[in-house]
Parts: sequence; structure tokens; C-alpha cells
Amino acid sequence: MLRKKNLSELVQQLRSNENVINWHEVEPIEAKTNPIPESVDARIKAALAKRGILQLYSHQHTAFETIRKGENVVAVTPTASGKTLCYNLPVLQTIAEDDASRALYLFPTKALAQDQKSDLNEIIEEMGIDIKSFTYDGDTSPAIRQIVKNVGHIVITNPDMLHSAILPHHTKWVSLFSNLKYIVIDELHTYRGVFGSHVANVIRRLQRICKFYGSNPLFICTSATIANPRELAEQLTGKPMRLIDDNGAPRGRKHFVFYNPPIVNKPLNLRKSATVEVNQLAREFLANKVQTIVFARSRVRVELILSHLQELVKNELGTKSIRGYRGGYLPNQRREIERGLRNGDILGVVSTNALELGVDIGQLQVCIMSGYPGSVASTWQQAGRAGRRHGEALVVMVASNTPIDQYVVQNPEYFFERSPESARINPENLLILVDHMRCAAYELPFKKGEEFGPMEIVDILDILEYLVEERVLTQAGDTFYWANQSFPANDVSLRSAAQENVVIIDQSDVANVKIIGEMDRFSAMTLLHDEAIYLHEGVQFQVEKLDWEHKKAYVREVDVEYYTDANLAVKLKVLSIDRTVARGTTSINQGDAAVNVMATMFKKIRLSSFENIGYGPIKLPEEELHTSATWIEVKEVDPTIQTKTLEQLLMGISNVIRHIVPIHVMCDRNDIHVVSQIRAEHSQLPTIFIYDHYPGGIGLAEDVFKRFDEIKSAAINLVRRCPCEDGCPSCIGTEIEGIGAKKQSIQLMEAL
Amino acid sequence: MSGLRDKLLRMRSSAAAQAERLAGMVTAEENGETAAQGESADVADAAAANAANAANANANANTFDGLDQAASSDSGSVESANGLSSEWEELNVRLVESTEGSFLVRESRYPVMHRHGIHQLGELADVQQHLDVFRKPEQSQMDYSNLLFLDLETTGLGVGTGNVPFMVGLAYLQDDVFVVEQMLIRHPAEERAMIGYLCNLLPSFTHLVTYNGRTFDWPVLHNRFILNGFRNFKWEPIHVDLLHPSRSIWRNTLVSCKLSHVEEERLGITREDDVPGSLAPAIYFQFLADSNPKPLLGVFQHNEIDMLSLAALAIRFGHLLGGGLGEQVAIPIEAEELLRTGLWLERMGKTELAEPLYTLLEDHPRISPKCLCMLAERDKKCGNWERAVLLWQKAVQDAEAANWPDYEAHIELAMYYEHRTKALHMALTLAEEAHSIALRRHTVLRSAQNKRRTELELIRKRIDRLNSKLQKWNRLEHVE
Repeated sequence: MLRKKNLSELVQQLRSNENVINWHEVEPIEAKTNPIPESVDARIKAALAKRGILQLYSHQHTAFETIRKGENVVAVTPTASGKTLCYNLPVLQTIAEDDASRALYLFPTKALAQDQKSDLNEIIEEMGIDIKSFTYDGDTSPAIRQIVKNVGHIVITNPDMLHSAILPHHTKWVSLFSNLKYIVIDELHTYRGVFGSHVANVIRRLQRICKFYGSNPLFICTSATIANPRELAEQLTGKPMRLIDDNGAPRGRKHFVFYNPPIVNKPLNLRKSATVEVNQLAREFLANKVQTIVFARSRVRVELILSHLQELVKNELGTKSIRGYRGGYLPNQRREIERGLRNGDILGVVSTNALELGVDIGQLQVCIMSGYPGSVASTWQQAGRAGRRHGEALVVMVASNTPIDQYVVQNPEYFFERSPESARINPENLLILVDHMRCAAYELPFKKGEEFGPMEIVDILDILEYLVEERVLTQAGDTFYWANQSFPANDVSLRSAAQENVVIIDQSDVANVKIIGEMDRFSAMTLLHDEAIYLHEGVQFQVEKLDWEHKKAYVREVDVEYYTDANLAVKLKVLSIDRTVARGTTSINQGDAAVNVMATMFKKIRLSSFENIGYGPIKLPEEELHTSATWIEVKEVDPTIQTKTLEQLLMGISNVIRHIVPIHVMCDRNDIHVVSQIRAEHSQLPTIFIYDHYPGGIGLAEDVFKRFDEIKSAAINLVRRCPCEDGCPSCIGTEIEGIGAKKQSIQLMEAL
Repeated sequence: MSGLRDKLLRMRSSAAAQAERLAGMVTAEENGETAAQGESADVADAAAANAANAANANANANTFDGLDQAASSDSGSVESANGLSSEWEELNVRLVESTEGSFLVRESRYPVMHRHGIHQLGELADVQQHLDVFRKPEQSQMDYSNLLFLDLETTGLGVGTGNVPFMVGLAYLQDDVFVVEQMLIRHPAEERAMIGYLCNLLPSFTHLVTYNGRTFDWPVLHNRFILNGFRNFKWEPIHVDLLHPSRSIWRNTLVSCKLSHVEEERLGITREDDVPGSLAPAIYFQFLADSNPKPLLGVFQHNEIDMLSLAALAIRFGHLLGGGLGEQVAIPIEAEELLRTGLWLERMGKTELAEPLYTLLEDHPRISPKCLCMLAERDKKCGNWERAVLLWQKAVQDAEAANWPDYEAHIELAMYYEHRTKALHMALTLAEEAHSIALRRHTVLRSAQNKRRTELELIRKRIDRLNSKLQKWNRLEHVE
């Protein structure tokens, strides 16, 4: 039998692998610690000592001191640097000093809240102080709810529950709101885009209610590494924040490797499947008993990789030592896996980004990512799972065929030199704001002159008067009162992109019809029309009927060799131009636009060869969206380029921009749309539009406007570095006729 | 203003906004006179009217000093002596003022001889002490009873903080008069004064009588105390929520346990031209928009009848608890109502009153097997095996004649024979019969697969056990 190789040997072996296209080393760092402050209660000190904590890392120490001075803080901490102590220590200390004190913890998901509770309760038990911490969510039993409301010192919940259950019934929470000392917002970076914009408004409502009960809590936020943690925290809470980023946790040497699978089809520039490569790599580590985590993009992918790995290493290891981890597993099953990872019983885990968030699984030696996780911040979070405090660690990112992946692995400087993305929110989006002002008015009447976020008083008044006209509020004297039969929080969901979603109903099993998902209206037009092939977690479904009126799509599982691609006729009308920058032969503009969208027909395309093997009509009404947009006009065109060619070039460039933008403004791919027009309606000029895919906009297009040069050069880079001959699906697409499409695209882009 | 409005409407389909506007309005059919006005007035006018209403109200609150009022009125409406415009006169309300502001009260006084349905309000004095059984163990006993009836009309559903009781209906006995006192706020700013008034009034009562008040009226009021700055107000009466006994007794006998239905079926009360309670919020919102108080009369009247019916219902349950069944209250005709009345009395600690009802049931001509089993279950629990067995046997007999038999009694009897009298053969026969009934039922009834399987399995197990016991028994006998 062969001797097992250790990690160093495996790392050496990987260095000679020809598919490795970039090797980056992160140097080790020593721990920076401070003694636990004198002021900390002896019982807390003893409990920490029991867990082997005799010193605080510098950031934990700073957090404690800053919070105790009465400042709001946002602590930026990489994975596994002991961030929970940043808030637990001041909170527990305050309650130990005054039993009446209360704290509210917000976590983005129920699972994280429950993790936190078990962790917190362990410390509390060791402290021997009677501090009650509870989770409050949809699973909390009615019997316990009463206790949580009256005597819970620490209430752990999520924004959705706060929005729809706690705030509208704040009179049941008098003891919490009257004595609230701290509001903890963990995983701050997850509150971005539409969701973050909603949550910012929920927090405004929370603050109104605290004020009513006479409390003025401090905010303690923790965030993964993003470019603008302080800005985001200040925007979310409306309070000045002290940034704490003096991470003092130690770190061993880390190798960060980009791995690009070999090309198997030259003309199409198709590479070997990332999944297969991931399986091979992971097998090597696991067979040598090196603890490894594999990240995959979807739940189905997790299961696929898991079953392969279990098969590959079944002779060396039992299947029990390699586990999957994703949403949908039962809580105690997940706890068991986390424990197994911490104590080493489990050698390998295949996970979705569920393990990216704060769950404690200890530190593993190797992390393999199947594909680029979608953002720099997310990549660093996943990479953080490998890296013991002492000793080496290895992170391998295996690129898939998508343009984003290819761009990232071929431009390592983009990834390593660039600071992570900014998280953007726009709590002043009129639709979101008005929705939450309704909810706020339901909770407490609005006084004239009262503030709500950074809005001008006259604008607030404007909205209140609008709501009076709508007969939602009534005004008496200088106060606006709720005067409607509805319960407004029910009509506002924090997480859905558009207000009205299409529900996807799987009727494969007649006896067991079930809802498998939902999709916003605009996407549904092209993805859920009659006869569309809809992919859900890797399974193919055919849409049997799209009931547009009732917003329901009935699907049935199928197994076919094609996918569908819908044509969308998009009309764009510029409503207002807010900003214009002329740049030589082009100009960039930013303003409001009306987007009219109509799905016209769809094509059936064979999966293996991308041939067109059929088509059909789509009969759906036109949809209209008013949003904010950024557009680039080409005012002078090289006369040698024919119109037809120009049209195709613009389409190709749009394709590239569509992939690049989400990386640069940190949003989901569906949040932003890119459309090119050879003759824009308002100017008759060739134009590329980039617009927010949410009514009213959430600030993405504005961001694109500000950072256009950055995006432009990234786009040029992507096309230039793509190894294809003259356009492929990974860059400008394949539909451009004539030689030199890539060169022409680059020239055109450089002129933008 | 219109810029914002346009922008919002542009952003989302105007349908949602329209629906919302309608939710706050009374439609033409529901309210002839005011609706005509409401329809023609566009939204901006309505808002203006609303603001005027508020301003007017404020003026009333601030400058009211009796006679001045008529002269200072510039709206052309005539002010009555108590400072209210003549439109309010028909509603028979008066203005109440305090340091916290003002609101309206409408008082109706009924002599105790007044008959509401089959009961006379004066009966209340005779029966109120019986309602003490609703007292919670931790509450101390009072040497007197002073009942307060309460019913809210609110602007919405649920107990969220935005649901405002715009009308609070109270009723109580005062000397020889039954007083119904209804408070109304003309706009939400008056709520504080009304709640303050309530906080002064409530503590003089020992009992709170409501219909669904435990889950609705009281929690809503509790919210209002907190929201209006009376956070420390404490009043812990004996809460008599009459919905609970109503449900206990009429769950299956009446199609609905809504007060309006119960009063019609059991208290001999019929309402004429009643404005349904569900319309009250819309009527109030219309009033907020157009300041025309006339349609509120319907809400006052509806609430007033609710108060009287609440009293009549309390009288009925008071009689039941005081042993008045068969005298002041007729003996229920239907077996199930009779049975459930007995079971309820027993739960309230009045076993001695329940027993005679059970005796009546034994010979009841139309008693369903289900009721037989319910009563038998009760007997079993308190060890009255003799009658329990009789009842089960009757149920088993009935099952033979029934098209659609149940097997609960078979199982109960089988258990009884197996464990108590060791009549294993009898037990086996009954279990087998139960099994065949169960099979028949389940093939027709498409009850849930799992439930069906476990039920059948349970019977099967019982049969198996009985068989093996019998075999053992036989062997033993053989040996002997």
C-alpha cells in the first residue's frame, strides 16, 4: 500500500499540473491579541477561559471597547476569525450588569439564527447567569412566543419576521423595545440590492418604534469583506458607524490556484466540464485523508458531485466520511455534519453557498470551488473555509465555460488586486419606500415633520399626502393616521424582486402537485411561456400552461435533448435624461426609461450542438417597466462598417457587458439588463442600454454610469483574452458574420 | 404632489392602488345618499373635506365654550347647544371633553322591564352572581358583581397596532336602568381622550363580558392603552367570553356561532335593517372622507343591539349555571345540544346540574350513536361503567340498523369486555364487526391513506391479540 501524501506533497504535485493557470500565495500572519478588559464580568471571563479564550484578538478587543464607549460599529472579519464574540461579549456584559437589558439579533436566514442560539446558549450556560436567548421565527411554538416576548433577554430573528410579525404587533413586545440596548446585524453584506433596500426601511421602522418606547439602541454590525462596509452599515441603519477592521486572528500560508479545464472543442471554445475536474481533484485530496470542502453552485450539483466522490473513494474511506450540505437538510442533520467537520470525523463536504455564511465548521485544509462563486466577496468567503490558523491551506477554483469564469481566471489581477465589490442599496426607491411608509404608519401615526431615513421632510410629507389621497391614511391636525382595513405588511415581501411573481407548479405527479418555485414577471415571459423548457435545480421541466392572468405556470418533468430560447422584443423609451457626459464620438447618459417588453417567439436549440431544431410563437401581453437606465450612444460611426454588422457588433458587446456588469456592481444577473438598439427611438443613434430590472431602479445603472471606464476596460479585456478565434459564447457570441468580429468589437468598445 | 403620484402610478400598474382606494370606500349600493356625493367628489376633494373635518374638530376641541360656537361657524351648518353641528342631532350624541381632548358619547337607557327577545334585562340582576365560575383560580373572589359588557367596532381585522376601535360599545346596569354607552371618535386624534375616559371607567367593574373578546376586543384595547400612553393601566376583571360556552354547546347544532345567528336561533331576537358589522369600517372611512355622520347611525344601532344581545346571552348562561334549565330556559330539543349543555355545566363545576340532563338523554328518542359515545366516554372517565356499557350497547344496536354505521362503540365495548370482564369471545366478535365496518367505510370514504391504514391496523392488532388470548385461555381450560 502506498504511503499517504501530506498536503505539502499534494501542493507540489499540483504545481506541475498544466491546467493550473495562476498560482497565488497568501503569506501567513501572526495573531494580534490583547488581554480581556478588566471591566468584563468575572463569570464571563471564566466561561471564556473554559473555551480556551484567555486573550481577545485585536478586532474583538477594539469592538468591545468601542461599543462600551457608546459608538455604533461595523466589524469586518474574514471567515472564522471569531466575529461572534465582537457582539456577544458587549451584549452579555451589559445584561450581566443590568438584567433588564435587551438585545435583538438579526440574521439573514432562520438557519443562521438557530446556529447562533445554540452557540450563545452554550456560553450562557457556562457563565452561570440567567440570561434567556430565544429565536423568534415561523417555527417558534405559540406557547414559547409569550415567553420570548416577555422575558427574552436576547431575541434572535430575521428581517422578514421583524417586518411582518414583530413590528406590526410591537405592543406585545413592550419589554423588549423599552429596554433595547443593542441591535446586532450579522452578515451585513447580504443586505444588498432589493432585499437590502427593503431591510433598510424595516430598520427605520424599528427605530421609530424604539423611539416610541424610549430606547435608543446601539447597532453592532458584522460583515464579510466588501468594499464599503461602513457606507452600507450607515445607509442601513442611518447612524454614524465606527469601522473595525484590525483583524487580529492568525492565518497560515494559503495557496490560491486557478484551474482552467482543457479545451475539448476548439471551434466552439468548449472546455472539459468543471464538475468532472472537480471530482478528480477532490478525489486526490480525500484519498490522502486531507480534509476538503467542495463548493458547488446549485443543490443538484452538490448531490451530483457528492455521489461521484462517494463512489470514487469508497475503497479508501466510508461514505459516511463524505457528506453533502445544503439548504433543505434538516437542522439536526446539519448540526451533525458541522460537528463531524469540527472534530474530524467527516473528511469531505460538498456544499452550496450555505456554508459560506457564518456556520462554525472549524477550519479545513483544502477548498475547491466548482466555478466562480459570482463575486469577489463570496469567493473570499468560500476560500476562508480553508486555512487553519497555523499550517498551510490550499484553495482551488475550477473555471467553468461561462464568460464570467473565463474572465476571472484569465485576469487574475482583476481578482487579486481589485478590492471586493461594493454592496449597493437604494432604500429611497419610491416603491419600496412608500410600501414601508404604509407599514410604518400602521405601526405608529406619523407626525408632520417626523423623519424617515435621510428623506427631506417635504418629500415625506408629499408621500403622506399621497397616501391620504389613496385613502390609506387620514390626517387630523398635524398627524397622519392609518385608516385602512388592510394589514400592509402582508402585501410587502422583502425578498421578491418584482411585486407579483409567477408561481411554478409541478404537476408531474397528479396526486402530488406542488409548488417548486417562483419567478418575477419579466423573466417569466421568456422562461416560462407555453412549451418552454424550464430548468429547476438541474431537472428539465416543460411548461404545459402559463396562466398569465393568475400568474401560474404549470410544468411537468421531461427529459429532452434541447433547451428553449425566447426572443424578446424590447422597446426603450427615454423618459428623462438626468446626466450626460460627452466623450468624443460617443456620449454616456443616465436617466429614467420606460421599457416595453414583448415576448414574440421561441427557438428550440439542441443541447449538444446548439442547432436550431424548431420554433413556436409566444402569446403574451406586452409588459411595461419604468426604471433607471444608463445608455451609451455612438454618435459617429466608421462609415466602412455596414449597418447590419454594426447591429451585430452592438449585440456582441451587450453580451459581454451583461456578463461584466454584475461582477462590478455586485448584483444578481437578473437585477440588471442590457439591450442594444441600432436606432434608439429618442435619438435615432446606435445605443446600448443598461437598466435596473426593478421598477424605479435600485441604483445599479447609476453605479454603471459612475464606473463606466472600469467596466469598459474589463469588457475589452475579456474579449481580448478569450482564446477563441473569432467570437464564442464565452465572449461576444457566435452570431457575428465575417472575419474580424473580435477585432472590430474591441475597436468599437475602445471608442466608447 | 401630482408628480409623485404619476411616478408611482407609472411604476406599478394602477390596479393595486385602485383596489386599495375601493377598500376604504362605501359603494353606491351600500349607502345611497353619501355614495352619490362620494362618487362625484374626486379624491382630492375628499381629502380636502377630510382635512376640513379635522380642522373643524380641532376648532371644536380648542375653542369650545358653549355659546360662542354657533357664531364662529363659517361652514353654514347650524351648531346645536352642545357644540355639535345639527347633523349629529339625529344620532343623539353628546360631546365629552377632558384634558386629553374630546369625543362623542351616545347613551341609551333601557328600563329593566325591557324585553330583548325572550329575556328581560332585569333578569341580569338575578343571575350575575352565577357568572363567577368564569373566575380564574388566581383571581380573588369579590363580594359583589358589577358586569360590564363590551363590544368594539374597529377599522380592520386582527390585533395589529393599526387596527383602531373607532367605536367602543359599553353596557352596564345602573340602579334600575340598563345603560348602553357608545363612544365614537370623529377622527383618530380623539382616540387618546376616549381611551383616557375608559381607563377611568373600567376599574369600577368586576366582570368583563364579551363575545370573542379574549382573542379580539381585549387585545385590541390593550394595544390602544399602550399606544395612547396608558402603558401602566391595570385592570384584571373576571373575563366572561361568551363565545366559548356558545361554541361548546352549539358547535354542531347551529350552522354558525356568530352572535347574530345565536341570538336569532336561541334568544328570539330578530334584527331589522341591521347594518352588518363587516361594513362598519367602510362606513367609518367614508365618514372620515366626507364628514357626513348620518350613515354612522346604522353602526351605532348595530352595536347597540350587539350590546343588548350580549346581555341576553349572559342572562341565558347565567340561568344555566344557576340551575334554571327547564324554568327560565327551555330544555334543548336536540340530543346533542342537551348533551353538550351538560358537559359544559360539568366543566364549569356544576356536575349536579349536568346529571339530570344525562338522565333525560338515556331515553331520548333521537340520539345519535356519536352522542351516545360522547356520553359513554364521560361516564367511563368518572367510573360510571354501568351506564357507559348500556350506552355503547345501544350505539352498537343502532349501528346494525344504520346505513352508514360507525364502529367507535364496538371498540369501546370490546375494550371493556377484554380488560374489565374478560369476556374475550364477546370482545372478539365486536372487534371483528368493527373491522368489517371499518373496511366498508374506508372503501367508500376516500379518507387519507395513512389514517385509514393505521386505523385498520389497530383493529387488526386487537383481533390478533384477542385470538391469541383466547387460544391461551382454551389451552388452560384444556389442561384443567
